[in-house]
Amino acid sequence: MSPSAIRWLIGGILLVLWEVLPRAGLVPQLFLPALSQTIAVAIADWRIFAEALAVTLSEAAVALVFACGGGILAGALLGSVARLRGLLLPVVSSLYAVPLVVLYPVFTAWFGIGAQSKIAFASLYGFFPTLLGTAAGIQTIDAQLLVTARSMGATLSQRLRHVVLPAAIPTVIASLRLGGALVIVGVVVSEMLTSSAGIGYLITSYRTVLDSPRVYVGILLVLLLGVLLDLGMRLLEHAATRHRPSAVPRRAAPAI
Amino acid sequence: MKQALSERAVTERPMIEVIGLGHTYESRGVASRALEDIALTVQAGRFTVIVGPSGCGKSSLLMMMAGLRRQTEGTILVDGRPMLDPDPDRVGVVFQDANLFPWLSAIDNVAFPLMLRGLGRSERLDRASAMLELVGLGHAGARYPSELSGGMKQRVSIARGLVQDPPVLLMDEPFAALDEQTRMTMGEELLRIWSQTSKTVVFVTHSLSEAVYLADEVLVMSAHPGRIIDRIEVELPRPRTYEMMATATFGQLRDRIWRQIRSPQPGNPA
Ligand SMILES: Nc1ncnc2c1ncn2[C@@H]1O[C@H](COP(=O)(O)OP(=O)(O)OP(=O)(O)O)[C@@H](O)[C@H]1O
Ligand SMILES: [Mg+2]
Repeated sequence: MSPSAIRWLIGGILLVLWEVLPRAGLVPQLFLPALSQTIAVAIADWRIFAEALAVTLSEAAVALVFACGGGILAGALLGSVARLRGLLLPVVSSLYAVPLVVLYPVFTAWFGIGAQSKIAFASLYGFFPTLLGTAAGIQTIDAQLLVTARSMGATLSQRLRHVVLPAAIPTVIASLRLGGALVIVGVVVSEMLTSSAGIGYLITSYRTVLDSPRVYVGILLVLLLGVLLDLGMRLLEHAATRHRPSAVPRRAAPAI
Repeated sequence: MKQALSERAVTERPMIEVIGLGHTYESRGVASRALEDIALTVQAGRFTVIVGPSGCGKSSLLMMMAGLRRQTEGTILVDGRPMLDPDPDRVGVVFQDANLFPWLSAIDNVAFPLMLRGLGRSERLDRASAMLELVGLGHAGARYPSELSGGMKQRVSIARGLVQDPPVLLMDEPFAALDEQTRMTMGEELLRIWSQTSKTVVFVTHSLSEAVYLADEVLVMSAHPGRIIDRIEVELPRPRTYEMMATATFGQLRDRIWRQIRSPQPGNPA
């Protein structure tokens, strides 16, 4: 059987178990409401969920622009200016290791509990991986390609536009993928902590009243969001790297 | 001036002149002398090969001739003018690795230097495909570097070095990464292209056979610091053939170069 057939099979079995186990009383409905029941409340309350989804999506979209735009710009700067890199990269790398969620209370104090604080938090959350990925991508550009371009009389701006940019695209997109996923995490987590709208908020409020089916609908929607974003990024990656057998095209990795 | 036995009409016009060149690298405050007292003249249309031990400064010298690195002392004139910056109108460069841009097809790689100069797309592609034709890759223009063999990549790289029609082609171990058979064919091909285009070629190699097979003149360098210790006129007729490699003259020339490279030099105890 092919790996994808196996994946579909496992998925199908899980769905069946999701229906059968709660119905048979093997798992309490409070922990896991049956699949059909979950779908039923999703359809009944679709308007509520759609509104929450719209809130979450719009926050994520704005945060994505900030995180990825800022991350790519800052990463390109750090990647190409050695002095700046020596100065800032250690700081950025260690900031990346800090659980940024501890900052969230501060963000709500600054920006209130509306959309701004969530956007600010999610932007910061996605910013660092995008920055680090882009910086690494720019640093790993084959210096020989730049010398070659120079030998053909390429000016600095031509080298940036026609060599650095296309050479860095695969790594930049890969870091966008990671940054984008973290933006979703950032938005949902902040909605769950302090908020009055969005999918994360719905999940938390249904949980406090022990409404398991609706909690599960919320979780499914977050999963869907993450998967769709990843799919979009993958399509982008595929389109941009069609002609490259790997991220490092110059020498093939030895077969071990 | 010694006349080359070459069939080709070599006009006695200096294309490359290196005058009193020396170079000292400085890294982290430590100075190291890489090139000392280099003087050479390459007449237009001649094929000059530079050989010498690893680290003797062959690549450095070539980079300076290409305007990619500035020497600390001395002057390099190409076509009568100093070489201060890369100038694709005068000098094309081919490196050991083909250094093709992996995101461009073969023909776009060849057209890249023309794109930098703002030529229109159709003229670019016309000239690039003529060059691919010249290196025997007329059929492979649409392929990407990852879809080409090592020899094909290096042909594309040569086509790219020639596309702006510079009078001088500098080649730094262009065939070093290829297997022996491909290397032989590439040598033949290069001589054919050279005789069709009448370029002045400076070619660096570690292979003594390749040096004798290709060259009008072989310059032998020694290391620490890099100097030119011998100039050998290769008076084998052209076109060169594979059979010539078995002749006594060929063997004597190769032995002479080998003895020069192996012999202890002043300041370089064996
Ligand atoms: N950028 C640099 N900074 C400092 N030293 C350098 C630099 N480039 C080369 N050198 C030194 O200059 C000397 C000549 O180097 P070069 O690369 O020109 O030698 P080469 O003859 O091309 O060697 P090979 O046959 O191994 O390619 C070497 O000792 C090398 O260590
Ligand atoms: Mg070298």
